[in-house]
Amino acid sequence: MGVVHGDLMTLNIGPQHPSTHGVLRLKVKTDGEIISEVEPIIGYLHRCFEKHCENVSYEQVIPYTDRCDYIAAMNNNFGYAVTVEELMEIKVPERVEYIRVIVAELNRIASHLLALGAYGLDVGAFTPFLYMFRDRERILDLFETLCGARLLYNYIWVGGVSHDFPKGFVESVYSFLDYFEPKIEEYNELLTYNKIFIERTGDVGVMPPEVAVSYGVTGPNLRGSGVKWDIRKDEPYSIYEKFDFDIPVGVGEMGTVGDCWDRYYVRMVEMKESIKITRQALKGIPTGDVHQALPKKIRPPQGSIYKRTESPRGDLAYYIVSDGSPIPYRLKMRSPAFTALSVLGEISQGWMMSDVLAILGSLDIVLGEIDR
Amino acid sequence: MTVDNLINWFPFGAEWPVLTFVTAVVICAIPTFIFIAVYALVAIYGELKISSFMQDKVGPMGQGVGLHAAKWGLLQPVADALKLILKEDIIPESADKKLFVLAPFVVFVGAFISFAALPFGQGTIIADMNIGVFYILAVGSLSVIGIILAGWSSNNKWSLYGGMRSVAQIISYEIPAGLSIIAIIMLTGTLSMQGIIEYQQGTIWGILPNWIIFNNPFTFIAFFIFFISGVAECNRTPFDIPEAESELVAGAFTEYSGMRYAFFFLSEYAEMFVVSAVAATAFLGGWNSPIHGFMDGPSWSMFWFMGKTMFLIFTMIWFRWTFPRLRVDQLMSVCWKVFLPISFVNIFGVGIWNLLFG
Amino acid sequence: MSSDQDKLIAESVEKALQGDMDAINNIEDRVTRSKAKAALVKAKREAKAAVAEETPRAEKSKAEEAPQAEQTFAAQVAVALEKKFPGSLDTEDVNGHIQMKGEQWYEAAQYLRDNPDFLFDSLQCVTGYDYGTSEDLEVRYNLHSMTHHHAIEIRIKIDRNDSKIPSVEQVWRIGDWFERETYDMYGIEFVGHSNMTRILCPEDWAGWPLRKDYETQEMYHGIVVPKVKDGWE
Repeated sequence: MGVVHGDLMTLNIGPQHPSTHGVLRLKVKTDGEIISEVEPIIGYLHRCFEKHCENVSYEQVIPYTDRCDYIAAMNNNFGYAVTVEELMEIKVPERVEYIRVIVAELNRIASHLLALGAYGLDVGAFTPFLYMFRDRERILDLFETLCGARLLYNYIWVGGVSHDFPKGFVESVYSFLDYFEPKIEEYNELLTYNKIFIERTGDVGVMPPEVAVSYGVTGPNLRGSGVKWDIRKDEPYSIYEKFDFDIPVGVGEMGTVGDCWDRYYVRMVEMKESIKITRQALKGIPTGDVHQALPKKIRPPQGSIYKRTESPRGDLAYYIVSDGSPIPYRLKMRSPAFTALSVLGEISQGWMMSDVLAILGSLDIVLGEIDR
Repeated sequence: MTVDNLINWFPFGAEWPVLTFVTAVVICAIPTFIFIAVYALVAIYGELKISSFMQDKVGPMGQGVGLHAAKWGLLQPVADALKLILKEDIIPESADKKLFVLAPFVVFVGAFISFAALPFGQGTIIADMNIGVFYILAVGSLSVIGIILAGWSSNNKWSLYGGMRSVAQIISYEIPAGLSIIAIIMLTGTLSMQGIIEYQQGTIWGILPNWIIFNNPFTFIAFFIFFISGVAECNRTPFDIPEAESELVAGAFTEYSGMRYAFFFLSEYAEMFVVSAVAATAFLGGWNSPIHGFMDGPSWSMFWFMGKTMFLIFTMIWFRWTFPRLRVDQLMSVCWKVFLPISFVNIFGVGIWNLLFG
Repeated sequence: MSSDQDKLIAESVEKALQGDMDAINNIEDRVTRSKAKAALVKAKREAKAAVAEETPRAEKSKAEEAPQAEQTFAAQVAVALEKKFPGSLDTEDVNGHIQMKGEQWYEAAQYLRDNPDFLFDSLQCVTGYDYGTSEDLEVRYNLHSMTHHHAIEIRIKIDRNDSKIPSVEQVWRIGDWFERETYDMYGIEFVGHSNMTRILCPEDWAGWPLRKDYETQEMYHGIVVPKVKDGWE
């Protein structure tokens, strides 16, 4: 390229650092301020979840799945329950399906709030972080009335859910949604359309769609690059077919398609869509017994299954091999953040130090899921 | 009380000029230092509370049983100061000791001595030099050396990064600031701080105070250029890349602890005060009252000066908690590609306006 | 007495099977009542088994239809692969997945990705699998096509002691990290990978954790490694 390279300086970001989203270490080779190579080093949170699952029964795996992606724990449970149910061909009652969709979408909103707030913090905007957390607290309070836990729920079980909605829960969810919807406009005013924020994130860290697909990136990261792919619409599971919602994609409004602003904005719009889905689900929820289809002993027939679900970070999939015993023989969790982090090295070449953190924030990773 | 007054008052002033001068300076420096310390406590408390209210929190609220002051968290900055003083003084082993120890002092000196030319009120100025504004701008750049020393001597890649960024930023933003001041000097005809303020006495058309900011549209723009460059010189958000917490922990000051860190902190707040004071003096009329004749006069002058300065400091705090931060190259391009041309245009504009409209 | 008891139990169970639970609930003796309830559960289970036996053909045919659609697609892919790379398939029987041999895997992967009929442009998941202590290892690839919306699973068996398989890092870029993870957990070496190092465990960890015969090491840099407790259920 005709550029003179002096000596490359090797820097280390993390594992302890105010901005890494968990214990992540980035080995960065820079030429002055320009990055020439970024290598993420993971494994600091590895607890070998897959080996644990080979020693405990199917029901006991559910709390473990919570702890993988601790920010969107409901969606983790959901994915696992749906996978095992398909393996065992269990049909859950209608009410359970609606309950699952409601809590999964609420958790999606909470997870996006955390992602966007932390992203604002990375680029230096301290206030939106607190506003978003204030609203996230209300969702966590809702979950606390539902199942007693704020962050790690163990709520969605194979064949049903652990507790039915308490009295007045539906009304409190409605009131939360009414309170929350205008807040999204507030966030847009404060951060999304702020000129400085657009300068920091627009045109930065562009991820072309072919690179994204080759690296297995899914979820809002992929949709930010313009590819319209959402498992809730393209390979629907549970009762997502009944609901009417859109899939936002990035169009390069503030720069190129697939830059950090697009990924940020896709998450913002997805929150609106989640509100839509939750409202539809609340309106149509039937009565019934949520514990009706809970199997007494989970003993799936021999076989293997690979099932994909949509978590807030992307395409969460479980590959379960069963040998007919009550303990899984092999359980592999394919986490979306794992693939998202692998693309960091590719898209941050040529950018500056501050941009690496902006790009990392826009990928929305959770180390618990990457390391398992 | 100015140094001049003190020297006249001393009985042996004529016979021992040097000693008298030094004594006078020391006598003036002590209240200034106390003022800076007290002001820093107030500013820290203000920052905590204002930022908390902006973020939908309450901020520090003491549980002081019986102690009313503590109930609103008023003793929080005192607690902070005590903590910093009592902390262990850590000097990294591989750091350059002499430079490491020297750096906070150099930074503080740069901010401290510019207090000598600040007009606190009518007749209340330590040294009414006839190059007042020029002196402040010149001396304010001493702190740059201190930051470089801090970044280099810490022997830490991150501190070096922070130090370099900070220096580039401060040096670049001094130019638009200086050019904006030149624009108004053409109107006042004098560099002396009191002279500038005296120029702004009276009213325009009977109602608007005769402040330079209302004088002509070019000085209006010059005020904003000067203020924003001042915010950049203090390393405050949106220009706080050198201390960007999420990237460099604390930039050039990462390795400092205890009282040394407190000095850096103190000098940042002192710089904020200086920048706000110069902006208030040069553009907002200094110690003049906004309504001519109402609360005017030497006894009220200090109140107005402090009021205007505090309002500008509040604006700086407001900026910090609203905006994200700019990247280094965007920062520099804003300075060199946007502010600099506008400042040049301002100078021409003020000159031509003055020529045409007297 | 017991034959009376048995008769009573049998009668009430029959009535309950028809939906009338009062017969059992009205039995005064607690022991007899509980025996009746147990007998009822047994009878229900037998009835269900009888029903299941009667309709196995209906269910089986349904089960056959769904995988048959998949089987056709997987069979198509298998046929195409066999034509292009003769000898690369391990077994003829296709069961929703394709069993391949490892030698021509790299070329086959490129073919699967680039052929316009298949266009498997996305490698979804790479799973290592252990058939048991002193049995073979296996690597399973789940491929998916974003354009055609079809998916396939490919399994490649390898020998436990000589576990080498060609790397597909250059075909799907996510293969880089997925293969490092499989190497880390199973000790399978991917030939041609640019950086075959551990990704999750520390660099100097000994052993392959997800293998069935894995023993945790005693000490790691002076720290005692806790063992999985026995009887954990």
